[in-house]
Amino acid sequence: MYYLCLEDGSTFAGTGFGAVVPAYGEIVFTTSMSGYLEAITDPSYRGQILVFAFPTIANYPMEKGIMEAGVPHVAGLVTKEGHAFLTHGGYSSQLSAFLSASGVPAIDGIDTREIVLKIREKGSMRAWISPDPDKKDFSIDPLAQDLIYPTVSHRIERIRNPNSGKRILFVNAGSKRSVINRMADLASLTVVPYDLDIPDEKYDAIFISNGPGDPDSPHLRKVINYVRDRIGETRLYGICLGQQIIALAYGAKTYKMHFGHRGSNHAVTDGKRIRITTHNHGFAVDSKSAESKGIKITEWDANDGTPEGLADEKNMVSSVQYHPEASPGPHDSMDFFRQIARELDS
Amino acid sequence: MPLDTRIKKVLIIGSGPVVIGQAAEFDYSGSQACLAVREEGLTAVLLNPNPATIQTDHSIADRIYIEPISAETIGMIIRKEGIDSVIASVGGQTALNAAMQMHRSGLLGSGVSLLGTTPAGIEAAENRNMFHELMKRIGEPVPDSAVLDRVSFPLAVEGMGEQSYIVRTSFSLGGSGGVIVDNRKALKSYCETFFTENPAETLEVEQSISGLVEIEYEMIRDQLDNCISICNMENLDPMGVHTGESIVVTPSQTLSDIEIQMMRTAAIKIVRALGIIGACNIQFALDPATERYYVVEVNPRTSRSSALASKASGYPIARISTKILLGYALPEIRNPLTKNTSAAFEPSLDYITVKIPRWPFDKISSNHRIGVQMRSVGEVMGIGSNLEEALMKAVASLDTTESRRLRLYKPREELLDLLREPNDLRLFAIFEALITGIPVETISSLTGYRPYFIEKMRNITDELNKIIIGSIPENLRELKVLGVSDSIIAHFARLDDLDLTRHRMAAGMVPAYRIIDTCSAEFRSSTPYMYSTYHGKDEVPPADNERKIIVLGSGPNRISQGLEFDYGSVKATKALISMGFETIMVNSNPETVSTDFDFSSRLYFEPLTLEHVVNIIIKEGRPRIMIQFSGQTGQNMAMKIAELFGEDIVVGTSPSDIYRIEERTKFAAAVDAAGLLQPSFAVVRNEEDAEHVFERIHLPVIVRSSFIIGGRSMDIVYDFRDGIQRIKDVLTAFPEHPVLISEYLANSVEMDVDFVSDGSAFMICGISVHLEEAGTHSGDAISLLGPSLVSSETRLEISRIVGILVREFRLRGISNLQIAANERGIFIIELNARSSRSIPYVSKAFGIDVIHAGISMALGLEQPIREVAEPTSYFCKIPIFPFKRFPESDVLLSPEMKSTGEGLGIGKTMEEAVSKAFSIQNPSSVIGDSCILSVSDSNKPAILDLVGRLRDEGITIFATPGTHFFLKKHGIRSVLVFKIGDKRRPTIKDVLENQDIFAIINVPERSGGAVADGFEIRRMALGKNIPVLTNIRSANALIASLLKNPVLEAREIACYYSS
Repeated sequence: MYYLCLEDGSTFAGTGFGAVVPAYGEIVFTTSMSGYLEAITDPSYRGQILVFAFPTIANYPMEKGIMEAGVPHVAGLVTKEGHAFLTHGGYSSQLSAFLSASGVPAIDGIDTREIVLKIREKGSMRAWISPDPDKKDFSIDPLAQDLIYPTVSHRIERIRNPNSGKRILFVNAGSKRSVINRMADLASLTVVPYDLDIPDEKYDAIFISNGPGDPDSPHLRKVINYVRDRIGETRLYGICLGQQIIALAYGAKTYKMHFGHRGSNHAVTDGKRIRITTHNHGFAVDSKSAESKGIKITEWDANDGTPEGLADEKNMVSSVQYHPEASPGPHDSMDFFRQIARELDS
Repeated sequence: MPLDTRIKKVLIIGSGPVVIGQAAEFDYSGSQACLAVREEGLTAVLLNPNPATIQTDHSIADRIYIEPISAETIGMIIRKEGIDSVIASVGGQTALNAAMQMHRSGLLGSGVSLLGTTPAGIEAAENRNMFHELMKRIGEPVPDSAVLDRVSFPLAVEGMGEQSYIVRTSFSLGGSGGVIVDNRKALKSYCETFFTENPAETLEVEQSISGLVEIEYEMIRDQLDNCISICNMENLDPMGVHTGESIVVTPSQTLSDIEIQMMRTAAIKIVRALGIIGACNIQFALDPATERYYVVEVNPRTSRSSALASKASGYPIARISTKILLGYALPEIRNPLTKNTSAAFEPSLDYITVKIPRWPFDKISSNHRIGVQMRSVGEVMGIGSNLEEALMKAVASLDTTESRRLRLYKPREELLDLLREPNDLRLFAIFEALITGIPVETISSLTGYRPYFIEKMRNITDELNKIIIGSIPENLRELKVLGVSDSIIAHFARLDDLDLTRHRMAAGMVPAYRIIDTCSAEFRSSTPYMYSTYHGKDEVPPADNERKIIVLGSGPNRISQGLEFDYGSVKATKALISMGFETIMVNSNPETVSTDFDFSSRLYFEPLTLEHVVNIIIKEGRPRIMIQFSGQTGQNMAMKIAELFGEDIVVGTSPSDIYRIEERTKFAAAVDAAGLLQPSFAVVRNEEDAEHVFERIHLPVIVRSSFIIGGRSMDIVYDFRDGIQRIKDVLTAFPEHPVLISEYLANSVEMDVDFVSDGSAFMICGISVHLEEAGTHSGDAISLLGPSLVSSETRLEISRIVGILVREFRLRGISNLQIAANERGIFIIELNARSSRSIPYVSKAFGIDVIHAGISMALGLEQPIREVAEPTSYFCKIPIFPFKRFPESDVLLSPEMKSTGEGLGIGKTMEEAVSKAFSIQNPSSVIGDSCILSVSDSNKPAILDLVGRLRDEGITIFATPGTHFFLKKHGIRSVLVFKIGDKRRPTIKDVLENQDIFAIINVPERSGGAVADGFEIRRMALGKNIPVLTNIRSANALIASLLKNPVLEAREIACYYSS
């Protein structure tokens, strides 16, 4: 027996798989029906216990997915049927071994819809996955530590793109590989982790990646200050956490959402047209404060109005809160990258 | 983009009679479209000749035309109504074809626009060559194809790859979908044979993608180019089995995100290239080994799949796409299920659905193969928390013998054949194979099913194999979590299933109910659209209204239980809601209007089996239940429901009275005691009795099981040997019930009497007269309602009989009585204490809400109303048959129902009604130059009158030898033709190919081998779309009507209610 203990006092019993260790984190859910490997390895899930709303997970082998990092980054995994239930076939052993190699525990046989309903009503909570049903210590904020540090390479990496004469400074704040790959398709990249001094070179654009945790954290002060000093000097782009960092650099505010957006089915709109996008964010930019700093909200969530795209044309700044690189999810907004390419060439 | 203000009056074209490939799903999408149009304050004008639909009801559409679908009718309606816009995307291929015809004949343009995808877009999607060209242009992969002719083929075939091919003839005889040849050599020899026989024809050859995984996407696009995918679906049966014939799971289970997005991106590209506005379905074939895909087909309209996707995801595709057609952009539309989110999103499911088709092989004798052509008549969907639960709930919903026990008990060799060749029992063959220990890999390679699915099925058989005979399984909970039904468990444990259900209830093992919300619980949904599962907590409290009633739907469409019953359950729901009740609908058929969450207060998408109905009764706190609108399904569970909850729980005629009606021996005794006439009959319990029965009852006789099973296993027998054989067959098929032999009433007129009653008072709603003599199943007979068709004495006598039956069986609610009248009097054939197939037809002919009246009386809310006046116009209901899909079956009618649907011809005169009706059945029902006659000896005298009229009109008569000489003797000239296969010329085949034949009148002798004689004639005529009249009376009616050449005018239905 394994247990999922939530901050509100509720406990759920299930079957453990992956590593036989306890895990503590913020519990969140995704409504994506596919792309389990992409989700598990997404560094943005650092510090979080991920619940799959879709009941059957790992129906196909890991080789058919994309590794967004070399290791799983979720703190723990909650599944309805991560195929611990399936006595034959399935790939539970493969997934289990993958998780266990990185010390990530998972719990299966959980009524994930009930957990989703709870999170929807009460918001994201702190949670334990543990062999002990009486885990009661929820005092530490799982997002308080530096979640980015373990997800990035700590040296400067240069990726050459022989087809482009342009250079982009890629600030890695916990990036998915897909984001690096899509950006590397556009120009040569200098990938610098968020905590190193950025080499003073000439860049055609600065890009801030996605990543885990609260954007308004002391660990990101350095990046935020760097970006603030570059506004108007160089083109600035960002995805997800990157958008939030740009907004903070402008002096705008960010806030923690009730339970966030995680899935591949949200529409964002620019007021005229919509596109279906992949979301993975528990924080968002506060629209009012952004607008007061001269940032334009270019796109927002069709349901709750959360700002999903920002721009300051005068200063050549543009960012999105969603994931144009998809993985998992629809490829409808790959245009974001094509737009960057066009702007670099202009 | 808001509502397009140029749109005021919209014509919605329906799909016509239910045929294989076009069924209740278009009643659903058409109804949704009408409602979406009216919601905007616009006028919805509907054209559909199918009276069984709910859309042809004034609660759905403003103006209703129950008229044949043709360019002429449409033109007439456009002028009469001042139509400015047409929607042709919710009426299947029929409506789309009508739109293309309108386009070609210039009906579109001048003030009338086709909403949605343009004719050019439709053509680009439907024309195979144009479509392939377009796909190549936008870089989407399609299978290689070529057109071959006699001259080019040897060289062309030489240059083709070594693989299998699909070959289609350019004229596709009888709607055949194509032939698969295994390799180049086979293709060469196929071509050689074909071009020798048909030197002037061409062949279309396409690289076969059989065996690949078939994936479908449901897409919606608006005028601003916003494009979304509602869901994808994975077929368990590989390519080579039509998606309508496949088991389909939603969402896809074995596909990676890369594969899903690859095809989704392609789908968007295709939808844009075609300029689709509204809904669209795209099929792909995926090779999982290489992650390569092919584009197979696009349907530029709502389809069976879109109905399935709507029910599976909760996203009402037809409704939203209609809003788009009216001008709205996706973000301007609300999600009607959650009511608080935008329609611009893609549904996320946290459950799994499985669809299984239902085939008519119980009614139509044919081989059981399935393939590239559709043969199924209906489908069921199961919803569960995992694949096993969803699959087993779908199995339970099928309502067939196999669905109740899972086992086939076939020897290994036969089992392997069933696995190898796609057929209706393949799913059960897989279960049987797993139970008997055949390895997963073997099953997967024989069936082409991906191992994942077989492994999942093995989870089920592993648990089933643990069951010990004679005791309640220890792993009962595990079995329930896998969705295994009580009846299957009981079968494996050799227990009584009601006992098992009782035990399970006592142990508190009941399912939880969960909401389908389109968003995996991310947002709150205010619509109680539910399914049961053994996987979690109940999240829905029972309805809090004290006045609530469960209404059972009728399950999968099948021959004898189709759309007519869905009409009943939807109207019942509406009636009950108007009386202040909360209605709780239960059904498992994803095609229907009844499973549209908009129509009932609560919808339980559940199998219509005792187990699931009982669970819902308990869940809802034992409200009363209405079984009158679920066809035979509800009748069959009535007694058991009463046993568990008492008789009073059933609204309407009580279960014990239903039993007295359904058990034919008891019924016959009661009829006798009441002094009413019935055909003489005998009960046979074993084969020995059979030998003697014919001494008392004279041939021909009707042989059937003593318990009504929806008219199943009924046959007219003309000779002794046949009779004995039939009796043996029925005894083997239904060993628990004796066989009933009854006198066949020759030369009598059969009538359907539909009435409502409250146990003593009653109101007769309609007396429909069959055109054919008694013996043709009432669902297959051409049926008439009209002024003075029934004499006032007969009406009085019928009224007396109905009164006696109402009191005898305490009939409450709606009932249907079948009678046969001849010079000896009125004989009772059958009584059904439920709403019947003729209810929608009768309701529409009289313009009265029969169902509302029936329910009021069943509930004792209203006293009976006056007798319904005679209709003022003529209403001719005509059956539509699926024979083209079953080349091995005969087109002759029998007491076994064979039609899939019906059309209604309405006229101010009998001739107008009959002509319209026949033109619905066969649009080529017009008088031509000549006709063919081949009539058996006993029927010959009856044709003289008819032939005389044909001669007077100058029509050339071709006649087979016997008929020819008979006519000659009576001084009528005819051209002698020989039967097919005769060495002498011309044969019927020659004449059919070279003459303008407008009808074949072929009335065979009904005994033994003689029937087979005309078989080929009838098949050949069917292939050529020439009406085959196998019955003298219907032949007379058609010819008489056609000869009068009545003016066919399209009128709003209400025009027929006043003279």
